[in-house]
Parts: sequence; C-alpha cells; structure tokens
Amino acid sequence: MLVFRSEAHVNDWLAERPAGATIPIRKLAELAAAWWGDRLAPDWRPRNREQGQAILDHLGLSGPFWSLG
Amino acid sequence: MDQADLDLRNATYRRFVALGRAPTAAEVAASSGRSEAEVRAAWWRLHAAHALVLDDAGEIRMANPFSAGPTPFRVDAAGRSWFANCGWDAFGIGAALHVDSVIHTECADCRTPIEITVRGGRPADASLVFHVLVPAASWWNDIGFT
Repeated sequence: MLVFRSEAHVNDWLAERPAGATIPIRKLAELAAAWWGDRLAPDWRPRNREQGQAILDHLGLSGPFWSLG
Repeated sequence: MDQADLDLRNATYRRFVALGRAPTAAEVAASSGRSEAEVRAAWWRLHAAHALVLDDAGEIRMANPFSAGPTPFRVDAAGRSWFANCGWDAFGIGAALHVDSVIHTECADCRTPIEITVRGGRPADASLVFHVLVPAASWWNDIGFT
C-alpha cells in the first residue's frame, strides 16, 4: 500500500506486475478516517467483515478487488 | 475476544501512544495490573483475532496503524513521531488521534521524498495517488507485504 507522485509513476513501478487499484490521495484520507477513526476509542470493538465492507462501499470502493471475501 | 482481552488491547494501544513506540509486555503488565505472562498470552489471542500483529518472538510488530519498527512512512502528529505500516496507515495515525499530521514518505517508484500535510483530515497536495497491490480478500494472508 504505497504512495506515488502520479499515476504515471504507478505504471512505471508496476512494469510487469499485475495492477491492483489506484485511488486519489484525498480518497485515501477519507478511507483512513473511516477505517481508523475509532482505533483509540475506549469502546472500540473488532469490526466484522460486513462493517468493513460497508466502509469501503460507502466510499465507492466496490467490485471484486475491494471485496473482503 | 472477551472484555479482558479488549481491555488489554486498549492498554497496549494507550501505552503505544503515550510512549511514542511499541510497549514491552512488562510495560503493559505494569500499567494494567496483569502479569507479563498474562499480557503475552492475551497478545497472542489478539494477534489471532487480527487486533494487533506480533513478530515471531511475540513482541509487538504492528498495532495498526502504528508500526513498532521503522518504515518508509514516518508521521508527525500531536507533538510526537511514529512509524506507520503503509500509506493507508500513515493517514490512519492522524485519523486515530483526531489531530492534524505531517507524513514523511517517498514515491515508491522514483524515491523522491514526499511530505504530506494533513489538516482536518484533508491532504494539502491532491496530486498524489495511492496504489493497493493486493486484493482486499487477501490483505491478511501476509499483512507485512500488504
């Protein structure tokens, strides 16, 4: 899970590797806020698969690649 | 995961934040009123539940989004500095602490240093991109690689 200067740099880095998914950095920031925002809360509870998937879906990260299985 | 393990997990995270580094089992034992052996047993249960990640020696490797060891993702936040496990986790440290942050990393392709200022959860530089190589269903197959 890496940061790149641009999509062109992603493509250079991938070379022959199969591509995963590229998202804008501001989308990543939104995802991090939703995913990690409760991590230090005293009432934190483990998230189940459905709850995790709902976070991804809410941000438009859907389809087979983003399926938690 | 029972309440005792959740309490131990929370105590471990609190120590990680307070110390600015991964706590030892002895440090968590001292702050939680448990024995070191109880802490280590609970850590392994939490590891199995993906609530934290231990190394082969049973020491804290990751308390996501925090990393125990140095990585290419250093995050300044709340007057301290931590390492994050990946780009996603780098944003997660400010998100978990609910504070602004500055992420020091590099372009994974050309190794140009990148400094990302995050205010109000929003990175100042919108031109950067993030790549996830591993499909979501396989993230925990090898969390170190992911």
